[in-house]
Amino acid sequence: MPRGVKLDLEKEPSLKEQVITIPAPKTLPAPKMFASLRKKAAAAKVLERARIAEIVDELDGEPLYKKLKRFVSADALTLVAVCFDEDPMTSATQAVFRENAAKVLAGLDAAAHACRAVSKKIAAASREEFRYVPKNRAGVELLTAGDRYPAAVLLRRKWMEKGKSAGFIGGQACAALADAVTRGLAQNETVVTVAGNGASRWVNCRVRIGTPVRDVLAAGKLLPETSVVAVGSSVNGRSITNLSEPVTAATRCIIAMKGLPRRKTLPCVGCGRCERACPRGIIPWMILQQLELEEPNPFRLFNVEHCIQCESCSIVCPSGIHLVDAVRRAEKIKEGRENKGC
Amino acid sequence: MLKNAVPPYLKSEFTVFSMTRSTLLAQLSLLVVPILYYGFRPLVVAGASMLTAVACHVLFCLIRGKNISITEISPLVTGLMIALLLPMNVPLWLPCIATAFAMLVAREPFGGFGRNPFNPAAAGLVFVTLCWPRLVFSYFDPSRASSFPLLGAGTYSMVSSPSQVLKQGFKPDILPREMLWGNFAGPLGTTGILIIGACGILLFLTRAAKPEATLCFLGAAALAAALFPRILCSPLTSVKYELLSGSLFFCSVFLVTDPVTSPRTLPARCLYGAFAGAMTMVFRWLGTYEQGACFALLLANAAAPLMDSAVFRLRGWEGKPNEE
Ligand code: SF4
Ligand code: SF4
Repeated sequence: MPRGVKLDLEKEPSLKEQVITIPAPKTLPAPKMFASLRKKAAAAKVLERARIAEIVDELDGEPLYKKLKRFVSADALTLVAVCFDEDPMTSATQAVFRENAAKVLAGLDAAAHACRAVSKKIAAASREEFRYVPKNRAGVELLTAGDRYPAAVLLRRKWMEKGKSAGFIGGQACAALADAVTRGLAQNETVVTVAGNGASRWVNCRVRIGTPVRDVLAAGKLLPETSVVAVGSSVNGRSITNLSEPVTAATRCIIAMKGLPRRKTLPCVGCGRCERACPRGIIPWMILQQLELEEPNPFRLFNVEHCIQCESCSIVCPSGIHLVDAVRRAEKIKEGRENKGC
Repeated sequence: MLKNAVPPYLKSEFTVFSMTRSTLLAQLSLLVVPILYYGFRPLVVAGASMLTAVACHVLFCLIRGKNISITEISPLVTGLMIALLLPMNVPLWLPCIATAFAMLVAREPFGGFGRNPFNPAAAGLVFVTLCWPRLVFSYFDPSRASSFPLLGAGTYSMVSSPSQVLKQGFKPDILPREMLWGNFAGPLGTTGILIIGACGILLFLTRAAKPEATLCFLGAAALAAALFPRILCSPLTSVKYELLSGSLFFCSVFLVTDPVTSPRTLPARCLYGAFAGAMTMVFRWLGTYEQGACFALLLANAAAPLMDSAVFRLRGWEGKPNEE
């Protein structure tokens, strides 16, 4: 049974247009520049460059150099550049990939060199995306993301099940690394999707990091009914009320919403959908059951510490239960127990 | 003005409401043929029962100070299910009492929908079976002329249903092939075997219900019927008669699949189905009454949480090995 949830993808509207550039506010400092690296620079040099260029992986917000350093110790590592977006309304990384796949490939090469990966792969949204890949892609294999949310997590899970080690880095981080190595540029911009039913124009914007969210949202021509703005994902993003928050390198989308679906919560009916959807082997309904007891049994709260807050479970629950909350509470209980126990 | 909100911002189309609606529609479709044959009497029986269910639900909501929501249609399902499990010629108060018992004793005190350990419809039916067995098991003869006013008793001739005949150890005088069309004496909604089968397939295909418990239920019942036929005939004939008579088939599609009262893990659900199927046949063999499915189901309901625990015990409580 496949894990995850099948969501309706709404990427076409924002992919229709080219990526537009939002002018950076004058108050932001000019981007840092370094000397470009030689073609055959040593792995340590590339790693160091990722650090000083302050590249952040947009997949999880982790600094790229830290991630690559972790990967160095893995043996026979496959490095996968994630060139799609998990979120159903976001197409930022996909747009970057379409725009300049060669650059992403170059970045992947540099990153693979830095962490001594034995093979390199590009994970694209679908087979159609393969046509953007340049012909001379020495040794880089192509894969497609499945059509189930959260695709990158599920992809990783597949690798884990096969028992192979794989490292996942974002396509935008790859492009930034290519720029840092060949042109000596620090990461200073990111591509952000503006979408949602509160935006009349869905578009990918190239934004200077640090630009307030408000400036980016303006490109989406907001409807007056917009009542919620979420940053990061149209599924589990963080809602913000202060539009002067800056865009960070990990911001992949800004979603303007008119309103939210009404969730009426009923008791669990035991349909088991949450268990099937969870990409991390958590059984949310059992956690609910345990939390209703006075003394939840920590051994029955298994895997809760692996929750990635992807919200798949809450989406599929026909009773509209906010299961992530329960999982989070369970995690607290478990942590408390373990501390006491030791 | 921007508001704070909590994710997820999406919601799947599949809700408890849509799930119960599918079941309700499927059950309503079982009323069509009886209505065509006998006028609106079946509708009156079903309506009275459903009305009672809603009234009980509203009453309980008022007592508990809970909000009443119109999307809460599960009382209708319970009411309708009870009406379908009783013969059409019962006095109108009988389904109402069964429904009232189902709602007020088997369902609401446990916390309402989603928390009831026993299937309310099965509990209601068992209650009236124990109190008024004569009424519950008296069927009119569909092959003779009969007339049913909307209310009141109606004129009809009584006949033994195939399951009664089986219970007495004789062979019913109807061919299994003819039973498929539902033209035999039995509870109102349980004789239209073909329609029930079609409903079941639709529910399974639209994922409103899961098929494994049903399959195991029918499998176990068929196996028991083949191994221990109650009448003198070939095992296959025995299987046909047992599966088609009485409420067994209806229960396998509509009661055994109820997610609330069935176990939540797949192996436990299979076990649950098989257990209920086997118990149904045991009740038919040894019980005092001709129908055993509802009794068997209540037993299986009681065992459901145990079955889940057993599965986890075998699998190991820690779940799957952690990654990374
Ligand atoms: S429990 Fe956590 S990891 Fe599993 S589906 Fe829910 S949010 Fe995702
Ligand atoms: S998805 Fe919701 S209703 Fe279904 S088992 Fe999980 S918690 Fe219960």
